Amino acid sequence: MSVIETNGVTKRYGSGEGAVLAVNDLDLTVEEGEVFGFLGPNGAGKSTTIDVLLGFATPTDGSAEVLGHDAVTESEAVRERVGVLPEGYGLYDRLTGRRHLELAAEWTDAAADPVAMLDRVGLDADDADRVVGDYSKGMTQRLALAMALVGDPDLLILDEPSSGLDPNGIRLMREIVREEAEDGTAVFFSSHVLGQVEAVCDRVGILHDGRLVAVDTVDGLREAVGAGSTLKLRLADDPGAAEDGPGEAPGIDAVGDLEGVEGIDAVGREDGLLTVSCSDPRAKARAVSMLADAGIEILDVTSEEASLESVFAAYTTGGEGSILSDRDGDPEGDGRDGSDDGADTGREVVA
Amino acid sequence: MSATWRGVARKDVEDAIRSRMVWGLTGIFVVFLTLLLLAFQAQAPAGVDVGTVEALGFVATLAQLFVPLVALVAGYMAIVGERRSGSLRVLLSYPFTRRDVVLGKVVGRSVVIGTALLVAFLVGAAVATLVYGPPAAGSFAGFVAVALLFGLAFSGLAVGVSAATTTRGRAMALSIGTYVGLLFFWRPLVAGLYWAVNGSLPGLRADAWYFLLKRLSPLEAFRVLQSRVLGTEVAEAVGIPVEDVPADATAEQLEIANRVAGEVPFYLQDWFAVVVLVAWGVVPVALGYLRFRDEDI
Repeated sequence: MSVIETNGVTKRYGSGEGAVLAVNDLDLTVEEGEVFGFLGPNGAGKSTTIDVLLGFATPTDGSAEVLGHDAVTESEAVRERVGVLPEGYGLYDRLTGRRHLELAAEWTDAAADPVAMLDRVGLDADDADRVVGDYSKGMTQRLALAMALVGDPDLLILDEPSSGLDPNGIRLMREIVREEAEDGTAVFFSSHVLGQVEAVCDRVGILHDGRLVAVDTVDGLREAVGAGSTLKLRLADDPGAAEDGPGEAPGIDAVGDLEGVEGIDAVGREDGLLTVSCSDPRAKARAVSMLADAGIEILDVTSEEASLESVFAAYTTGGEGSILSDRDGDPEGDGRDGSDDGADTGREVVA
Repeated sequence: MSATWRGVARKDVEDAIRSRMVWGLTGIFVVFLTLLLLAFQAQAPAGVDVGTVEALGFVATLAQLFVPLVALVAGYMAIVGERRSGSLRVLLSYPFTRRDVVLGKVVGRSVVIGTALLVAFLVGAAVATLVYGPPAAGSFAGFVAVALLFGLAFSGLAVGVSAATTTRGRAMALSIGTYVGLLFFWRPLVAGLYWAVNGSLPGLRADAWYFLLKRLSPLEAFRVLQSRVLGTEVAEAVGIPVEDVPADATAEQLEIANRVAGEVPFYLQDWFAVVVLVAWGVVPVALGYLRFRDEDI
């Protein structure tokens, strides 16, 4: 059984000329036990989609089922088994963290141990007895995450869960998502940050301007991202940059050999830096270790990731350096033909 | 306690206690009641013996201004406030229905306002006893019951407004608009309608429908009921002279039975004012709920 299934969900705000199409004909399926990333820039319609799933908003058209219940007519049954970290939420400033979890436990008929729950999200006993009005943004976010976990839900819906969290908090949140997933909980995880989704999700749906652009495995996404990423290295005694030309300096072979490494498309030079274009982000580490092994001193490394926009472009145009053809090992293939094969490997190009 | 209206009500009361809203409201009512009871004694002409009943009548007159205002202020943010802060999104991520939210808020705010009023009346009873001697138990109980009903009607109205609106500004405008409208415009509008139909202002005797419209105002319903339980005519808080009634008209002449022709219809009986007050509490909640139920949050 799918935990989430939407059929042609459309949400339009306003009418006439000023109407905004927040979600456009969305067909989405999330399977039991998977961690599904919902990726898209701010304003793409992610939160609106979640609002529809939770019955916060009624779809203009189409229907959605969550855990086998209609999202509109059986919203209570849906929310009985879903833990939610909503977007744009607020907590009760005058109540303590502990009280929030006690209330969440009452409302879900769960036996909860507030201190243990708080500990799980990295809040201590002192925090438990402070009112939430005194919490920082990160602490509030941790508490809200703990509230979502109360009652051991079958599905977690986390809308931009990393917002407001420091790196430690983000790591903790990822750990929790993984633990929940191992427990069999399906997780629907929305984010506008590529790295967040990439780090925890099994499959990814990409939303752009209210449309589901693609659904892919996270490996497929990695390649799409890798396709646009470039490693820039500043080397001590860079052999290529030396006036004397190649030949004498140590490690020149290593630089030359980089081109043959799997996942590296091109090696070039720019402003005295060695640039390595990768089709697979994992190739970056290989490049660095190869150079290091060859005794080349690396002064600095920077990496430019593909922007979200270029990822969308990679999925939508299927043209230039098409990830689809690369993946399917079809050197002649153009992206459009590749899309059929793509379905076999978990990729499904929707638009 | 799972996700039911009781859960919402309990959390609302808890929040009101923590925010000191309960104490604030109780304090306001206590001060209001005590000051009025003392002021009434002080302003009585020397030699005139004023009793508890007259003092309570005086309180009832000014309560028409005061109780609705306080109840509206205490209630207008009940739902729209949670909507704006985003806590409604957290609340509704648990299996509450929209109906649970509205009902829970109505009950919660009613408990808060009702408690504040009751505590104030206890203090008021003590003050009245000290100043005027012990009040008659029957009329005092009646006075408290009617004032409580009045307060709860406005707390329902406030929560209804809060459910129906999506911004604080609109909720405030609608609450203030309703308050001002009831206080200053209801009677002139009804009298104006009478004039439009009959070509003259209502006099000592007028058509029954005129009195019905007049009594559909919660302020008038409250006044009618308090006059009844206290056994003395309670004055209007804002007496805009819109009726063509001689200034020296006697209380007897002003009795409703002597102002309409024939039998007094049921809707002009005093008990009907209870129905009116209940309706003012319930109908806005129902309308607000219908609006809230279908609205995106």
